[in-house]
Amino acid sequence: MPGAPSRRRWALALVYGFLLTYLGFVLFPLVWLLLSSFKTRADALALPPQIIFIPTFEAYEKLFTAGILMPFGNSMFVAFTNIATALVLGVPAAYALARMQGGAKQHLSFWVLSTRMAPAFGVIVPIYALMRTLGLLDTRFSVTLAHLSFNLPFAIWLLMRYFEDLPVELEEAALVDGASRWGALRHAVLPVSAPMLVAVAILVFVASWNEFILAFILTSAEARTVPVLVASLAGTMAFDWPLMSAVSAGAMVPALLLVFVVQRHITRGLTLGAIQ
Amino acid sequence: MAVGVRQRWERATMLAPGLLALAGVTLFPGIYLLYMSVMGWTAFSPVVRFAGVDNFRTLLRSASFWEAAGTTLLFVTLSTGLSLLLGLALALALNEDLRGRGAMRTLLTLPLIVPPVVAGFGWKFLLSSDVGVIGAFLLPLAGIRVAPMGDPQLAMASVVLADIWSKTSFMFLITLAGLQAIPPFLYEAARIDGAGFWAQLRLITLPLLKGVLIIAVILRVLDAINTFDVIFVMTQGGPGTATATFSILGWKIGFTYFDLGQAAALAVLMMVGAVFATNVLIRRTRLAG
Amino acid sequence: MASEKPEARETERVQRATAEAGNSKVTRRTFLKVSAGAAGALALSGVPRIAFAQRRKSVRIIAFAQGFAWPELFGSKGTEKTDALRGLEKEVGADIAIEWGDESAVRQKVLADLISRTGRYDVILLGSDGAVQTYGFGGLLEPLDRWMTRSPSPYVSLKDVYPKYLDANRIEGVLYGLPYYSFGPGVMYRRDIFRKYGLTPPRTTDQFESILKTLKENFKKEKIDMFPVTMRGAPGEEPSLDLLGFVYAYAGYAAWFEGGPTTAEAIRRKKAKPIFTGDFRKGFTAFVETLKNYGSPAASTHTWVDMLTLWEQGKAAVMIPSAINAYPARLGSKIEAVRKESRLASSPVGPSGKRIQSFWTFSLGLNRFSKKKEEAWHVLAYLTGKKAMEEFSSRTKFPWVTMKSVLYTKPLIDTWGREELAVWEDAIVQSDPYYFPYFPELNEFMDKIGTAASRAIAGAKVADVLNDLQTWGYERMYRGGYYR
Repeated sequence: MPGAPSRRRWALALVYGFLLTYLGFVLFPLVWLLLSSFKTRADALALPPQIIFIPTFEAYEKLFTAGILMPFGNSMFVAFTNIATALVLGVPAAYALARMQGGAKQHLSFWVLSTRMAPAFGVIVPIYALMRTLGLLDTRFSVTLAHLSFNLPFAIWLLMRYFEDLPVELEEAALVDGASRWGALRHAVLPVSAPMLVAVAILVFVASWNEFILAFILTSAEARTVPVLVASLAGTMAFDWPLMSAVSAGAMVPALLLVFVVQRHITRGLTLGAIQ
Repeated sequence: MAVGVRQRWERATMLAPGLLALAGVTLFPGIYLLYMSVMGWTAFSPVVRFAGVDNFRTLLRSASFWEAAGTTLLFVTLSTGLSLLLGLALALALNEDLRGRGAMRTLLTLPLIVPPVVAGFGWKFLLSSDVGVIGAFLLPLAGIRVAPMGDPQLAMASVVLADIWSKTSFMFLITLAGLQAIPPFLYEAARIDGAGFWAQLRLITLPLLKGVLIIAVILRVLDAINTFDVIFVMTQGGPGTATATFSILGWKIGFTYFDLGQAAALAVLMMVGAVFATNVLIRRTRLAG
Repeated sequence: MASEKPEARETERVQRATAEAGNSKVTRRTFLKVSAGAAGALALSGVPRIAFAQRRKSVRIIAFAQGFAWPELFGSKGTEKTDALRGLEKEVGADIAIEWGDESAVRQKVLADLISRTGRYDVILLGSDGAVQTYGFGGLLEPLDRWMTRSPSPYVSLKDVYPKYLDANRIEGVLYGLPYYSFGPGVMYRRDIFRKYGLTPPRTTDQFESILKTLKENFKKEKIDMFPVTMRGAPGEEPSLDLLGFVYAYAGYAAWFEGGPTTAEAIRRKKAKPIFTGDFRKGFTAFVETLKNYGSPAASTHTWVDMLTLWEQGKAAVMIPSAINAYPARLGSKIEAVRKESRLASSPVGPSGKRIQSFWTFSLGLNRFSKKKEEAWHVLAYLTGKKAMEEFSSRTKFPWVTMKSVLYTKPLIDTWGREELAVWEDAIVQSDPYYFPYFPELNEFMDKIGTAASRAIAGAKVADVLNDLQTWGYERMYRGGYYR
């Protein structure tokens, strides 16, 4: 290994230092959020901040009695449907685009990207009008479709560029053996792409889970999602920070579980697909 | 590779479902948006009439439009640049075989799960010079007396901070996945040939990562242009108009001034700008081919 | 060489996998089948909802303040179906469904619905500081006078409601909304602090200024962590209600346009140009200077929530003119002094002899495109009627009621005392709801004015800010066709 051992140790210390600092930056608000969710409103605002306090479940009580099950189910449905659709439809499209050449490809791929350029405030009224005409207001379907409008292009575009960067030799081996593009995709490309597919899945899930304004506009009592519930609980009379913390903390749990489960898959996938 | 009939058909079947679905959910809103942008349509007038380019003209003539342009540029540059650097550094660090790597990676994806609204509120509270743990307690302890939300420059910094907190994980995830696709034998070969860390970075990592990085940057830029929740919740675009980006301005025009035609026109202008910007980025980095 | 081996191994692996996989046609067909299936499943998941279209008539309401507004009907969570609600449904002859959200999100939903003229929401939340004007002028609201006469409700009688609250919901004489909870201007002050320094509530703005000065000096001397005053200066419409109250008090009229017209028709008739650099300036400057010198350094982004929080933490000694924001703290603060020593006083009088204003009603209106106007009207009448007001006052204890007969009832008298209620009532009766003009572009002006204030509070020069406002205002009115 190049470099004297002490230099390496010094570099290692630097890296750890950077990582731990950044982790601190990330975790500080989250820990504070979690602590706040167990405080009363007055305690939450007290300074110096009370690290030792009498915990209360007020906020969580409000959360659970507000009927969180249905929004949870809705959010899950919308998010997972988005993942499934974005991957099932997006992966082949991304792959095909990646292996194309020339003008048609450029135009198509640019069009895919451009669908993501519409600002939220611009599409609220059109999407509302569309869903209203289709009679889809307050259905999970409408929210799913609305979310697809930004998740699908995202998946296609990201995967397309990723596939472009993959060495062609992998597929060529399969093609030479008489496999079709589909076969090549399934057996040569997909296994290696597992980390990226997982990353895309996580990002699609999160984007859908967190999306607020479209979900709010399109739903009433039946199909509302978790962010919509959070917003309505936050209330207008006196901003209830413990309640918002509790709701946010509670709302984060499924996403957390998903990420945790999936993370292990990434590491497992890596060791299995290792080229060595 | 010659594209035979069978391959063309295969390609079509691969493309069709995805692209059709996409067209289905985006075509109507897009066309409706264009329609709205050329109509004089406000909520306070019972008459809706054709306005041609009036909306666009009003926008391009208004001071708030150009102000917002500058603010958006500043915000996007800062947020994207910083999250790119941080995300890359984190991915590089966590690609190495370090102790606790798995746990750290998982922890780093946590901000993704937090809705931007909550992140915005959280940071607003934390930084508040009246009641915030950081703004009213820790900073004064260190002898710094500032009002992050009350000062135009600091407000921008606060908003960028919250946005970075929220979005760096995105860059990190994508960059890491990209890094993991680089075959380790390349590094081995380089090491055997005597290349050190920085040389490896320059000659192997960055070139191979370029595609993924550019994509991540483009997506991040588009996202930053549209960032609304965080800014709205923290500063409402203030103080004054210090943090009023296009997305805040557009929301205002549509939902506060009730001028839907003008808001649509702004949306169209933003899209034109985004198309232009990404085109430049793609061409410049030779991604077209 | 070592590097070739891994590549070769990888290629072998792929070849093996491909050979094992078999027919590629299966893959493609499977894919198409799966996509079709997925699309079908998606479609089906939406169908049941579409199929169960509303059979029974349902009146939809949209509002904010979940759990706070009409708790007797919707419970403290806002989602319950109480007996009272069922009773009302029976009376009205339709189901009643309510949707909640936070203020800004609800406003977007309301706009989307009204503008598409789809009549999805029958009873709509409005504010008298823009929504009533905008939608009223836009012809999107149903005028309520004829419903009053045609279909009188046992719950609401126009004679009961304070006339000024009704005026705030009239555009050129036509009533477009009915108020639920509402407020007029006032000064909330900490009696204990005033007593400590020998101060009495200000009657004039000059007195007000000297009080603040005294407080500031003393707080500094004794190192007390308090601000003399809390007001709101966030950009956008937020501070405008209060700021414009100052403008009114210093100029003596709604000093927006030449001659002070307060209706769209009058502005047009007189071709009145904006006077933001004229009489408007004095009150604007006073507001800005007060906040800059005596308020929190973060005031340029403070909303009413921040005002409330500061008061609750005992960090401010005076709140003006939207004193309403201190009430929740007076009931819920952990600090005893805040609970026991907060007092209401009348809004001070400006150099013109007029009081500083701040006036707002949480109103409900009827969607012009509603398909069940009769039923919706009755629901609206109940929601803003005497019974609802009585429930409001007895449950929340806040004196923000719209009817004299409800103001002087036991729950409120017990909580606040007759004296304070009299001060509160006096503020309403003495108010001028038209302290800002009612014209279609009102919202945009409110937003621009508030933002200008926020800018000035954050450090910009008042002269510059007002010049910009003036230029913009003239251009905007010209574009609106007022001067042709």
